[in-house]
This record gives sequence, structure tokens and C-alpha cells, in this order.
Amino acid sequence: MPQPHESGYFRTDYADDWRLLQTRGQRGAALAGLALACIFPFVASPFLLDLANQVLIAVVGAVALMLLTGYAGQVSLGHAGLMAAGAFTTGILARETGAPFWIALPASGVAGALIGFLFGLPSLRLRGLYLAVSTLALHFIVIHAGQEYETRRGLSSGVVIDPPSLFGAELIDPRLWYGTLFVCAGATVLFALNLLRSRTGRAWRALHGREPVAEALGIPVAGAKVSAFVIASTLTAMSGSLFAYYRGFVSSEAFSLFLTIQYVAMIIIGGMGSILGAVLGAAFVTLFPYLIEMALSKLPGGDAMSSLVFAVNYAAFGLVMILFLLFEPQGLVGIWQRVRNWFLLWPFRQRPLK
Amino acid sequence: MQTAVNIAVLASIYALIACGYVIVYRTSRVLSLAHGELMMLGAFGLWVTIAMFDGVPLAAALAALLLAAVVGVVVYAALMRRMTGQAVLAAVLATIALGILLRGLAVLIWGPTERHPLAALGWDNPVFELPAGARISAIDASLVGAAILCYAGLFAFLRFSPWGIRMRAAGQSPLLAAQRGISLHVIYALAWALATLTGGTAGMLLALNTALDQTMVVIGLKAFPAALVGGLDSLAGAMLGALIIATAEVLVIQFVSPLLADVVPFIVLLAMLIVRPWGLFGTREELDRV
Amino acid sequence: MKRQTLALFSAALFATASASTQAQSAYVVGVTAAMTGPAAGTYAPVIDALKAYIDHVNGRGGVNGRPIQLVIADDQGEPSRAAANAKKLLNQDRVVLLINSSLSSTYAPVVADSKRAGVPLLFAGSACPKETYPPADPLQFCSTAFGATFDSRAALDFIKSQAKEPVRLGLAAMAIPLSRGEIDFAEGLSRQVGMTPVDKQITPPPTPDYTPFATKLKDANPNWVWAWSPWISQVRTFEAMRRLGWNGQYVAWAHLNAEEDLARIKDPGLFVIGSNAFFSDDLPIHAEIRAVTHRANLKHPVSFLAEGFVAGLVIETAMKGAAQPTAQAVTASMNNLKVDLKGLRGGPLEWTKDNHFRTRQYYRVWRWDASAGAARRVQDWVAVDVKQ
Repeated sequence: MPQPHESGYFRTDYADDWRLLQTRGQRGAALAGLALACIFPFVASPFLLDLANQVLIAVVGAVALMLLTGYAGQVSLGHAGLMAAGAFTTGILARETGAPFWIALPASGVAGALIGFLFGLPSLRLRGLYLAVSTLALHFIVIHAGQEYETRRGLSSGVVIDPPSLFGAELIDPRLWYGTLFVCAGATVLFALNLLRSRTGRAWRALHGREPVAEALGIPVAGAKVSAFVIASTLTAMSGSLFAYYRGFVSSEAFSLFLTIQYVAMIIIGGMGSILGAVLGAAFVTLFPYLIEMALSKLPGGDAMSSLVFAVNYAAFGLVMILFLLFEPQGLVGIWQRVRNWFLLWPFRQRPLK
Repeated sequence: MQTAVNIAVLASIYALIACGYVIVYRTSRVLSLAHGELMMLGAFGLWVTIAMFDGVPLAAALAALLLAAVVGVVVYAALMRRMTGQAVLAAVLATIALGILLRGLAVLIWGPTERHPLAALGWDNPVFELPAGARISAIDASLVGAAILCYAGLFAFLRFSPWGIRMRAAGQSPLLAAQRGISLHVIYALAWALATLTGGTAGMLLALNTALDQTMVVIGLKAFPAALVGGLDSLAGAMLGALIIATAEVLVIQFVSPLLADVVPFIVLLAMLIVRPWGLFGTREELDRV
Repeated sequence: MKRQTLALFSAALFATASASTQAQSAYVVGVTAAMTGPAAGTYAPVIDALKAYIDHVNGRGGVNGRPIQLVIADDQGEPSRAAANAKKLLNQDRVVLLINSSLSSTYAPVVADSKRAGVPLLFAGSACPKETYPPADPLQFCSTAFGATFDSRAALDFIKSQAKEPVRLGLAAMAIPLSRGEIDFAEGLSRQVGMTPVDKQITPPPTPDYTPFATKLKDANPNWVWAWSPWISQVRTFEAMRRLGWNGQYVAWAHLNAEEDLARIKDPGLFVIGSNAFFSDDLPIHAEIRAVTHRANLKHPVSFLAEGFVAGLVIETAMKGAAQPTAQAVTASMNNLKVDLKGLRGGPLEWTKDNHFRTRQYYRVWRWDASAGAARRVQDWVAVDVKQ
């Protein structure tokens, strides 16, 4: 009988149970990723930095939507409306009262929480498609309110916002923005991971699985639903606020139904029910149009197609979403897991039958 | 009186589009959010057949209707068939993605410029006088007529014809229907064909009325509350819902403010969802069956 | 043998070096435009015509011996994409002139970015912001035909000159801030010139049926209506009002679609006022436009392309006056510019340091003449001085 080997991963106290990074491999990967992320702003062109910043802002929104729809199972098509709420709160505060960054951002979060509460009320009575439709209706109403504000204040090109100043430094340089957004995105991901391991997260997962059973187990279902909406909306509104600061202005046209669909695509393409999926999906959907443009420009006759780029983008986006829905329901995370398993099992192809 | 005419015309537009939502939902429990784009595709189909049947407008119109129905079958066979059995949300998202794909393709094939099928067909749009000083144009009148015809036809079809009865059976209980020997795939394809037919008719008439361009898609979304307010699986409800929404919209434009016109359908929808989520004539179980 | 290879190698190196310096010396012009998306019908023809003209200029040898390199980025009418395009064009492509041909919601970020980079910004085909009027912002320029406040003034002057009885004025706008602002201004102005504004209708962008709005406008019984908004809203409100039995006169701004639509609608009660000459004038420049755009195989109707050609002529003249392909030289050249538009507008387009709109704005009015079966000029070029 061969001697068992030490795995090397022993848990000696309770704190070890709670750690997010448990194995040496995970810690190494995290450090390597962090190092890459720190080097990136110094070697990347301004264009790539801008792309990275866009991806980071999208990550915050995608994680929020993943918490709401992927984990708690509450379908929401009002995402753009919530981002608009956060962005407009920031715009209104910055313009009417000149509030600084560290007041406007939390205030947007609070506004998001309040509107998220409104969005969440229908969830107490409705489920699935009807819930989605009610959030859609609320989205249109929020956008309309934003348009009315713009018009009544005579702001035909939207509300211009000055760059925020953080600890005295004005955030104009894309590298400073990268650092700030990286911290925000990282904080959001950590928050989400920890929230999911907590009581609230477990309540959400139970809610998603079987609602009557969750209720029978004593989980306050109404409270869990509303908490899912409120927390997700707070994060979404803050992502909208960051978006407003980054672009330097707010305009209701930016928050269309297509934006909602993009975020829903992010969590589907990424892989429902996984925070990593939210991150991967956010990166994929944000970078996708630029990939298509690059591909088109490489094709012969690409110059003539330059005016068709958007249409190709649109069509390709729809096509990719359909392909993922049909053939890869687990999304990019599913693909990643297959790749990882291939490496783990190598040289074997599949697990042996017992 | 003119207000009443305006309401009738707007309600007909919404009703024609809403019955497409209802037919698909009632039969296959899928909410087709690509209906606005399919409507636009139907209108572009008319443009294509006008070029094909140059000089014979009636043939162009009929061919366009046939083309719209065929498109519905193709959509089902190529996409929605594979989504049956998957989660409902996934199917809805597939229709959203389909809508995006169709919109992109439409711009790629036909470009962004506005087109005028009415001028291309060589038809005129005369205006008729009605009692009490109201006026209605020929195409608006045909919109009302088309809506009434479609609904009457659908009612008769679902009630009396064998395929209609099979469709109702498949909608009520797919499992039993399949065991009874009804081919579900054929039924669903038929439902999609009917939906694109009515939607395409609406799109064509709208294009004839004003012009053919991309903004038509938004109208499909505005008609969606009409289907929901009446009950997603009830044709009578769709008609009534369209009437309610159209009345609310026209009255708000007339007496409150024209700027609220876009948002009124959704306010009515929200009110309905709070008070009676399954709509006026919808079946209550629909609420939990998702 | 070794010396030969060395000579060949250095020759090749010299050739590539001079080639690269040749490429660097082009005038690089960046464009962020709504090439696709819902607003594309208004802006894509402008940029397509511009590109065709610039290719034509380059084929003739360019300007000052250098080619003009157009870098076009599509923003689909979305402000965030316009912001990303602006950043890319300014920081990566290092353009010396930035053009915006898109919705007014894209202006704020593009203006901010170009200001930070010190690069002049030209609005071609898109609505001229107030900052191009005197006293002008140093870096914002506009070549677009229509301009707020001046258009309403000219239109109301025209109505006054044509009206045979007291004017009951109806007003129509689209629910976008620019159009609403202009119509509000027109309402106030109409009172000052002795007209009675009876109703003001604001239609939301894509509506299935304009009849309810037209009903309200018709019920107020105006005899003249002035509309200043994107063409769709103007013309569909007019058609709806006609269908309701309204018999008055309707004045609308002549956007790109005006010439074609006058021929389609064939209604003598529809007047269009505009700054660009119609193609039915058949001037030599119109023949040139037809030839250039035919060679470029553009899909748009020819009558849509005047605005883009005007922009092309403006850019060509601006670059001619800039000895070096730098942003400062281009700005200096544009601060003192006189462009011969060869009849496309009522006169030359002139910019000064304070006036980046134009020193004189010219207006013509057309309507459909049923007996002649063509559009007829009702009022020839009226020049308006653009002052503070």
C-alpha cells in the first residue's frame, strides 16, 4: 500500500477557512495578475489605457448585474436606467451644488439604492418575464425623467462634469484613472465574493434555486429579493457615477436599452452564476467592437467598409450572443473550465470510470 | 371626433403588432422581443418585392406578405427551435439577440437612408371626410381595416379550423398535445409565421403611411405594453390593451403634454403590473409558470 | 561585393526614411461621425461626400504638395463612443484638425478633449454650437448650413414678406433640446415682429403616428407654420396636417432631404428655407459633385451631398493656408479664412478670429411649382450679416 503524501495545504485555524486565496497556486496567480495590472499602465498606449478603463467601469456594472440576475435569480432589464440614475445624480450634484467626488459618488449610490428599492418592489409579486418587463417599464420612466431634467435646464448636449479630484490630484491622466478604477473594480469584486459567502449571499442562492423551499427553510424571501435589488442597484448607480466622471458629462442618450442588453450579454457570455464570468464577460463585450473594427480594417476593401462598421458590429454582436446562447450556455467561464480541466487531466482525456 | 379617429388608428397599429406577441407567447410561452425588427424586415420585404414585381403593385404587396410569413418559419427553424426546452429567459435573450442581428443586417443590406414605398408603388394616399369634420387618410383606414381583418381571421382560425384548434391545444398543454400526435414544431413554426405576417403587415402599412427607415423598431417596443396590459396569452386582451394604451396616449397628447407620449404606454403597463400582473384577460397561472 | 551591398542597404534605408517622412507630412484630419445608427441618415452622406472630395483633391496632388489623410471613426451618435473616438484621434493618430458630424449630445466630450489637445474642432453637417458665433471660442468652427436664431429670424422675415393678412403662427419642434430652444426663441421673436403665435407642438422622435400632434396644431388654426427640427419631424408633421385638412403654408428648414422630398410631396404650400443651393440649378460645381461622387460610387442621392462638399472645400482651403501640418498652423489659417464655394452657397464662407460661424449667412426659399413640375425659387439669396 503506497504511503499517502502530504498535500501541503493544511488548515491550522479558522481564519484559514475564510481566506479567499487558499492554495499557493491561487496566491501565485493572484500576485502575477496584480503585477501585470500594475505594469500595464506604464507600457500601454493611451488608446489601450482608455479601453482598459472602459472595461473596469463595465466590470463594476457587470458584477452588480451578476449578483442580481445570476445569483439571486431576479431578472432585471432596467440596468441602464439604474446607471442613468447614478450618472444623473452625479451630474445634478456636480452642476447644481458643485459637490466634490467623495460626496457625489456615495450620494449616487444612495440614489441608486432608493431607485433600486422601487425597481425591486414589483419583484415581490412578479417573477421571470413579468419582473423583467416591469423593470423595463421603470427604465423608460427613469430615462424620461433624465431627459426632462436636461431640457428644463437648457442642457442640449448633456451635463458637463469637471474631472474629479482625489486627494488633491485631478483625475485627467488616463493612468491615474486606471489606478482609481482598478481599485474600484477590485473592491467591487472582493465585496461581491465576500457577500456571496455571507448569509445574504446564501439566502440569494436559495432564492434562486427554489423559492418555496427557501421560504420553508425560514429565509425571509421578500427581504432577500429587496436586498438583492438594493445592493445591486447601489453598485450599478456607482458604476454609472464613475462612467459620468470618466466621460466628463452625462447625457440621456447614452443610457439606451442597448446598454442594458450589453450588460445582460456580459453576464450571459461570461457565464451566469460566476463573478469571474462577470469580469470576463465585461472585458469581452467592451472589447468586441474594437476587435471587429480591427478585423474589418485588415480585410481587403476594408476602407470601403468603414462606414458599415457599426452595422457589422451590431450584427456580429447579435450573432455572437445567439451562438453563446445556443452552443455555450455556460459562457466563457464554461470554456475556461474546459480548458483548465484539459490541462489538469493531461495526459488523460477524461476522468476514468470507476 | 378627430380624436376618436386618431385613437382608432393608433390602436390599430398597436393591435396589429401586439397580436404577434400574443400568438407566439400563447403557443410557445416565448416572449419575442424581436418583433419590432421583424416588423421592419416585413416592410423591407415590401421594398424588395416592389423591385422584383416592377409595375404590378398588387403582386408586390401579396408577395411581400408571403415573404413575411416565410421569414417567420425560417426564424423558428433556424433559431427558436433549438431554444425550446431551455430556460425561458434564455429564449427571450435569443430573440433580443436576433433583433440586434436583424437590425445590423438591415443597415448592411439597405443602408441608412429613408425610403418611400408609397411613391415607389405609384399609389396615392387620398383623404376621406368623415362626419363631424374628422378626416382619415386611405392608409390609416386600411390600418384599421387590416387590424379588424387580422383579428377576425385569427379568431375564426383558432376557433374553427383544425390547425387552429391544434394550436390552442399546444398552447394549453404541450405535453398532452404532443402525445395526441400534434407536431409541436409545425405548430410553433405556424405561430411564428402568423406573428411575422401580422407584424409585417403593420410594418408595411406604416412604411406606406410615412416612410421606411430604422426608427420603426422603436414602435414595436411601444406596442409591447398593449400586449401585456391585455394579457399575454389573450387575443381579445391584446385588442383591448391596444385600445386602452392608444386612448391614454392620444388623450395625454391632447390634454396634458405631447412630451409624455413616449412614456405613457410604460406608465400604464407599470400600473397594470402592480394591480393585475397577468393582464385583463390573461390566465392567472401564467404568473408562476416561468 | 561588400561595397555594393552596403550601397544598396543604405539606399534602401534612405528610401524608407524619406518615405516615412513623406507619410508624416500629410495633413491628418480626424472625423467622429454618426456613420451608422439611427441618426446616420443625416450625417453619413456629409462624411461620405467629404471623403470623396478629399480623395479627389489627393488625386490632383493634394494641398501644398501634401496629401490630406482622413481618419474616420464611427460614433453611432453615442456620446461615449464619440469621447473614445476623440481620445483615439487626438492621442494616437495625432490629428491636426478634428471634425464632428454627429448629434449634439456628442459635443461636450469632443470639445473638452480637443480643447485639452489644442486641436481645432470643425462642426460639419452637425448643428453649430453657440461657441462658434461671435465672440467665438478659439478652437471651435462650424461650416454647417443651418444656425440657431439666424434661421428663425430669416424664416419669420420671409413669412412677413409673403403674408397677405395678419399671421397666426404655428410652431413645430422635435423633443430635442436644440430644436425646442430654437422654437422657443422663434415664439418670442414672432411676438416682437407682430405675429400671433397660436400653438407650439413638440413631437417626440420616432412616433408611429404624427396625427395626434398635428391635430392639436391644426385645431389652433394657424395660417403659417414654422418648423425647425430634423427633417423627419418637419415633413411628417406637415403631411399629417395636410391629411387633416389644414390648408395653410408651412415653412421648414431645407435639410439634405429637402430637394428630393419637395418633388415627392408636390405640395405648393410647403416652403423650404435653406443656405445650400439646389442641384436643379445645375451649376458647374454641381456637375463636379456628380462626377466625383459617381467615381466614388456613393449610395446616397446626389442632392444629399452639397453639405459634405462644402466641408471639403473649407478643409482644402484651410489646409492651403497652413504651411506646416500642425494644429497651430491650421488654426491660424482658419482664423482668417475665405472659401470660394462656387455657388453652393449664396457667397463665400468667411471666418475671422472672432467669428467661426461665417461673416455672412445667405438664405434662399423654394417651393414646389405644380405647373412647372419642379421646385421653384421663391426668394433668392438674402444676405444676413452675422454680428455679435
